[in-house]
Amino acid sequence: MVSSIKRLDADEEVPEEAFDVDIVDLDFHVNPREEELRPYIEDERALDRLSTEFGMWPIPDKWDAAYAIDEGNEGLFTQGRAEVAEDVRRACERFAINEPVVNAGINGLPQQHHPVLKNAVLRAGNSYMLDHFVDEGVLTALSIPKWDVDYALEELNRWGDEDGVVAAYSWYDPREPWGVEEFDPVFERLESLGLPLLLHGSLAFWPQHSYVGDEMLTWTEVLGFDWPIHGMVNTVNMIMRGVFDRYPDLNVVFQEAGHWWLPFVRYRMDEFYEMHPEDIQITPRKFEDGEHYLEKAPSEYLRENIYMCTQPFALPRRAGEARDMLNLSMAADTFVYSSDWPHQTLDPATWFFTSRAFRDDQELRDRILHQNARDILRI
Amino acid sequence: MSVETLKIDGDEYIKTAQTEEIPEGRGIAIDVDGIEIAIFNADGEFYAISNRCSHQSAPMCKAGEEKINAEHTWTKTRGRVDAEDCSVTCPWHLWKWDLESGKNEASGQRIATFDVTVEDDSVFVRI
Ligand code: FES
Repeated sequence: MVSSIKRLDADEEVPEEAFDVDIVDLDFHVNPREEELRPYIEDERALDRLSTEFGMWPIPDKWDAAYAIDEGNEGLFTQGRAEVAEDVRRACERFAINEPVVNAGINGLPQQHHPVLKNAVLRAGNSYMLDHFVDEGVLTALSIPKWDVDYALEELNRWGDEDGVVAAYSWYDPREPWGVEEFDPVFERLESLGLPLLLHGSLAFWPQHSYVGDEMLTWTEVLGFDWPIHGMVNTVNMIMRGVFDRYPDLNVVFQEAGHWWLPFVRYRMDEFYEMHPEDIQITPRKFEDGEHYLEKAPSEYLRENIYMCTQPFALPRRAGEARDMLNLSMAADTFVYSSDWPHQTLDPATWFFTSRAFRDDQELRDRILHQNARDILRI
Repeated sequence: MSVETLKIDGDEYIKTAQTEEIPEGRGIAIDVDGIEIAIFNADGEFYAISNRCSHQSAPMCKAGEEKINAEHTWTKTRGRVDAEDCSVTCPWHLWKWDLESGKNEASGQRIATFDVTVEDDSVFVRI
């Protein structure tokens, strides 16, 4: 015998408790359209080349996420397309996200061939974001190129101390990992500006550009494991090459690199380093500074300087297993929540309100949902 | 909402909505004694299925909702209701659920479905 029936509020998509907790989202994409970016391209020559219809895309891609998804490449917009601040606010209301940190998400940029054109588009993207988001009070991560350190510094000089710019955004891939000394001026500037460096997976290097990748055919292999491997390689490279001894206040956030590999890297780095550390002294920074070893155990840099976005969380269903994974990952110090709106791997904060691992440990939940992010963003 | 019921072959159905409250290709959600049920209109046929996707608990009733700036996307809606193959696709990650069996082929998982009947423009669901 039914005793009560009520119509549900269709606008709230996550559990009610989520609306009582501060949620900061470290990876929220907006997608300005090409015609909206074009007016922001400053250089006439670049604008001319970027506006000319040249026909077929010049680089054939063998693998495409579209094959895995019912809606093909529309998977990039499963939730819609935010173009202005109001769109972001509308989307966030449903998912109880209080503070989205938006980025222009031009993740195909590193793949392009011409540095001059890439720089022109990157700058146009930043100018667009300044006008449409920073000025509208939405916290924003602006992009810096990995392919041109001088230009990265120019961009940081242009907007680095703007209120509302809370982080710099760039990309990781296996070419020139971020531990390379060439990036030191960028780290120095970021440290002095108090901006963390957000590194997002890049379309610059899909596995098809490598031998093993040539045989990777599926979404699960490519998106599930390729970016995490790059994230791992970049993390270890930065730590072992002494980036954080030279820039101890630099914080680096990996986006879409997976996060459950932290226990593996944590213990393996320490084991290998402690077993045979004598090559540290001949890494360029240490060599130049006349230092012999790292100042701390490698895992301590992981805890103090590196952060992982959690999307998609993929939390074990059993609370005990989830707790163990979180502890081993030093999640209280390393995890930051991200939704990846509006992409196909969207991750609303549901896990934090349905798993007992978080119901029993609200402090940990709050660190991941907002505290860690607020500690490192320049808010 | 007071509970209006209907008996068919000894089974009790409860009134959930008027047909015009659920436009074609869209759904609503109701809570019946703590059970969340989504009711969809697939080309004039009404179906009831659990409102919680078993993947990550998305509210299924949002399937078919217009996307933000839909005119600048291709498919225009978040997930969808497909009358032809009698399915609903989840608004979050597009798992496809059979509206009659409640089954998702890829995962082999099943969510609850409920019998529906329409009387005098009212949609009744058997709990
Ligand atoms: S929550 Fe439905 S597909 Fe993920």
